[in-house]
Amino acid sequence: MKINVLATILLVIASSKGFTQILEYESVTDELLQTPPTEDWLSWRGTPRSWGYSPLSQINTENVNELQLVWSWALDDTGSAQAAPLVHNGIMFVPAPRGVIQAIDASNGDLIWEYRPGTTASVDGSDQEITAEDLGDAAMPLTAFAGVGRGVQKNIAIYGEMVYAATENASIRAIDARSGLLVWESQTADPSLGYFYTAGPIVANGVLVTGITGCERYKEDVCFYTGHDPLTGEELWRFSTVAAPGTPGGDTWGDLPLRFRAGGDSWQAGSYDPILNLVYMGTSQAKPWARAVRGTDGDALYTNSTIALNPQSGEMAWYYQHLPGETHDMDETFESVLVDVDGKESIFKMGKLAILWQLDRQSGEIIKATDVGYQNILNVNPVNGVVSYRDGMIPRIGQQIDMCPSTSGFKSWRAMAYSPQTEAMYIPITLNCELATFGPTEQVLGGGGTGPVRRVNYPHHEAEENLGELLVMNIPEGDIKWRYRQRAPINTAALTTGGGLVFVGDWNRYYYALDAETGEKLWQTRITTSAQGFPMSYEIDGTQYVALPAGVGGASWSGMLPRDLAPELSRPLHGNSIHVFALPNNQ
Amino acid sequence: MFLHFPTINKAQIYLITALTLLYPKLSMGQSLQDGIYTEEQASRGAEEYASRCASCHSADLRGNSNSPSLIGLSFMFIWEGRSLGELFTKMSTEMPTDQPGSLSQQSYAAILAFILQSNEFPSGSTELASNADRLEPIPISSQ
Repeated sequence: MKINVLATILLVIASSKGFTQILEYESVTDELLQTPPTEDWLSWRGTPRSWGYSPLSQINTENVNELQLVWSWALDDTGSAQAAPLVHNGIMFVPAPRGVIQAIDASNGDLIWEYRPGTTASVDGSDQEITAEDLGDAAMPLTAFAGVGRGVQKNIAIYGEMVYAATENASIRAIDARSGLLVWESQTADPSLGYFYTAGPIVANGVLVTGITGCERYKEDVCFYTGHDPLTGEELWRFSTVAAPGTPGGDTWGDLPLRFRAGGDSWQAGSYDPILNLVYMGTSQAKPWARAVRGTDGDALYTNSTIALNPQSGEMAWYYQHLPGETHDMDETFESVLVDVDGKESIFKMGKLAILWQLDRQSGEIIKATDVGYQNILNVNPVNGVVSYRDGMIPRIGQQIDMCPSTSGFKSWRAMAYSPQTEAMYIPITLNCELATFGPTEQVLGGGGTGPVRRVNYPHHEAEENLGELLVMNIPEGDIKWRYRQRAPINTAALTTGGGLVFVGDWNRYYYALDAETGEKLWQTRITTSAQGFPMSYEIDGTQYVALPAGVGGASWSGMLPRDLAPELSRPLHGNSIHVFALPNNQ
Repeated sequence: MFLHFPTINKAQIYLITALTLLYPKLSMGQSLQDGIYTEEQASRGAEEYASRCASCHSADLRGNSNSPSLIGLSFMFIWEGRSLGELFTKMSTEMPTDQPGSLSQQSYAAILAFILQSNEFPSGSTELASNADRLEPIPISSQ
């Protein structure tokens, strides 16, 4: 389907209230989300299967070196940008730091509307927004009990005629896609307890499914996923990611009362299989990070697991705990990439240890575990996935261990992409290790946290001076197709395209297009600050565009590691932005 | 008209020279128990902390998953035995992580005073120096 923007879809007017709105907007249905037109990018990773793949092929290995900047847009510099833009009907919806969302004409960069928390009105003029006054002592950021971080808003969702976001104040918002006005806001947790969102919702069979983070403090409450009614904001169900005493799995935390069971955060959005009607979400590790600090050697369900949920009921179909009783801050919370291989409906996942897990989507059973071989913490059985810690590698308080990766991980939220052309997974990696000494925390309400770590980072012995790697693994064999290594950390999710390309960006402000088959670098450009976020591609009126986000912040991967291990590199203090490229003869 | 300078004898010159050379060393032997910041400075630091640090390290200084605790057992585990100068240098060159070095040296010193106050180290009548060299000889110790 081609979209003639001027003639049919994107009609905008300036209203008497001073904002611009979209008059004609094609409602986003479940069917559209599941099989989007090739020109659109409707989910944070393109489709609910989260391949990070665009089938568009106008930009390809033959002509990518001709790419030119069409437009760029500066995002708010009030926090860390890790944007995953969406495109529908020729409109780009961009999540910016601290809850700002902007609708932009994706062909030329003109602003259509923007939603600003605390500034933009509600759709009916009523006071729908949860204000700083409502939050009282929990209002951000000045009086926060627990830090909300850097205002990260990775992804948003579009469905029906609304845009959905999860906020740094532990609420979920619905924004009118035509006007940018607030429709509803639903508080899911008390931000004064530390709760906040960095990952946004996905839409699964008419339900908003979202996972919360900020769950490291000791409190009479635990992390969770929720299902919300997209029309009303009503919470339909809630799934606790930490098993309480007396519930199934509750004994995996030893004798710890609920108040001292922390972690199980979710900071990457999920995936959805409409045939099985299952949502796949990840959880992070237990907190405090080290077993000796949290006071139990137990498995600590349901931390560091992939969890399959029915989106209507929130009922868990199965879970797979990748690292039972994890004890080094090795998250497995990241994206679930749904690929069918050799007749097997599979999920592919990779956590900080760079072990590629293949699970059965229906049953949750392990199909294969492939250890890339960079980590030195544990052994994993490739057939049954059982892990066992190597001698001396379970941290004791105050005792230094030499571990690869560092607590930053080899893999992070920089999502991997799958290409059906090459049947390979393209995985952004940072190569690094750490001399780590884990320390104690106070076991009191409000205490806990991750636990302190005396940390000395050093380069990985296999990488020489290279921190950055794009690792490409054949699926399902798991062997290495090629590696691209360089000095600066790879700092974005990967984007694969039907043009035989993979796009990825680095901390040192470069974006690259590589030949997905060979790894040859075919094009590069340099942008405002670190490449950061989720690159994507779309088409308008016969022209393919590639949108490349940039941003500051980015936690230890993007802060501490380059500073410690590549000190000669630098980046500006500001520069959150989006840069859009196309071929010159299509302009 | 001539400017009139006071007369300084040789002994005074030697004394002034020696004091100047030794000035950075004068704080040698100081400890966190000696009241090395003022309440007023810590109060200024609390305001700076709230606006520039709390969104990551939290209002109660206990941090979050990406930002270490600046108080209590966890803080002392990281910093015990290291120098106040090292902590000041880390703050003033690496913080806030999204805009490192963007505060004045006086602001960093005030925030450090607030951290010392929050960790129940006593205040005194002299402000904490906004200079890493002068803070370098002061060990971070709970003793």
